[in-house]
Amino acid sequence: MSREEYQVPATGSANTFGGGSFNVPAPRDYAGEGGGVMHYMCGDCAVRVPLEKGAPIRCQKCGARVLYKERTKRMVQFEAR
Amino acid sequence: MPHKPPTKEELERRKIVGIRDEIITDVTSTDFPGHYPGESHVWDIEEFRQGVRVEFHQNDPLEASFSLIGVDASIANAFRRIMIADIPTLAIETVFINNNTSVIQDEVLAHRLGLIPFQGGHEGLHKFLKWWRKPTDESEVNSSYYDFNTVSLRLEVACTHNDQAAPGETDPTKLYKHAHVYARDIEFCPVGRQDRYFSGADAIAPVNPDILIAKLRPGQEINLSMHMHKGVGSDHAKFSPVATASYRLLPTIDITRPILGADAAKFAKCFPPGVIGLQKVTRTEAAQTGSGYEGHEGEVRAVVEDPMRDTVSRECLRHPEFKDKVKLGRKRDHFIYLVESTGQWHSDAIFLESVTHLKKRAMDLEKQVINMVR
Repeated sequence: MSREEYQVPATGSANTFGGGSFNVPAPRDYAGEGGGVMHYMCGDCAVRVPLEKGAPIRCQKCGARVLYKERTKRMVQFEAR
Repeated sequence: MPHKPPTKEELERRKIVGIRDEIITDVTSTDFPGHYPGESHVWDIEEFRQGVRVEFHQNDPLEASFSLIGVDASIANAFRRIMIADIPTLAIETVFINNNTSVIQDEVLAHRLGLIPFQGGHEGLHKFLKWWRKPTDESEVNSSYYDFNTVSLRLEVACTHNDQAAPGETDPTKLYKHAHVYARDIEFCPVGRQDRYFSGADAIAPVNPDILIAKLRPGQEINLSMHMHKGVGSDHAKFSPVATASYRLLPTIDITRPILGADAAKFAKCFPPGVIGLQKVTRTEAAQTGSGYEGHEGEVRAVVEDPMRDTVSRECLRHPEFKDKVKLGRKRDHFIYLVESTGQWHSDAIFLESVTHLKKRAMDLEKQVINMVR
């Protein structure tokens, strides 16, 4: 088995212990905040830029045209070794 | 010629490892059957009981120093190795990273988290918590976590600008909020019966809250949860309950001929402070013929005060004026341990646990041997 692997967290039971439910943070919102709006990182000022479908690729704050994808919203599991 | 039983002095002499300027002599022990003609030296439990002794020099929760006297090196070394590799502790084993936009990579961050030593209520840690075994079937992993084998932790930090920072401030810790992520930011999430064992002062928490885990800049965040399990040092060093567990043999310094006057002061400087003391030669000593002190009344002489503090640097053997006047050595059956705990166990409890562990292993072996010959 590989040392680190992607785990698609199933909502609800994935992070609960046998009996009592575990106090882990709620699963993240995979659809992103609100429908259709994607967030990107500005390459110049590192601000979080919301972009709607068809909107010009441009930072609203500084006008830079280089935007980066955000990190995966999936949980990644590692062994602490 | 009938064999004479060895005198007490002879038995003591046999225990000394000789340390000369360029050679170490009598390294191996000789108290086994067949080495000395006419002497038995068969191992005997009563004799062992008479001879074995433990003396504590220092006993703090995080550091203990003690002497184990009257055992063979194999036993002493077994205790040392058990303390390092076989006493179980709780450590972070799996890290579930939801988000990590810091400059430190996920796997490096997970590794760093694993190495942080944690403390908690001793009853819960040593009695309530049991082993977690990874199920062979991947699909059963998520249902193998229980309150008695897993401790859950959480680390959620996001760095932001500090509006209260003075203009022209350059220190990132003042300019930003949460610029540094420390071990104290790790949050313990008790589950089930864990509340009973790990609450208040007994809560699971890092021993050293000031361990720096990562550095952040505004916009970066770390959001992860962790599972801790019990493990042993032979599996991974993060599970070792000790920072160091080592022993050394008790040094011996034998001044065979008097060292007097300015030589005595020089002799004392050859050793760490407190090992060699300076005393005045008394009238009775000076009056004794053949003592080597004749006519030296009132002069200072070197005496051995505390050989335990000696580092056995052998500096005194380099000087011609001390030639044939001093014999250095080590006592082969006197082990001075230094046990430094990482905080999960009391340092003396680690040694006691190693004794229990060796006893249990020996009894397990006995059972196996009985089964083998049956």
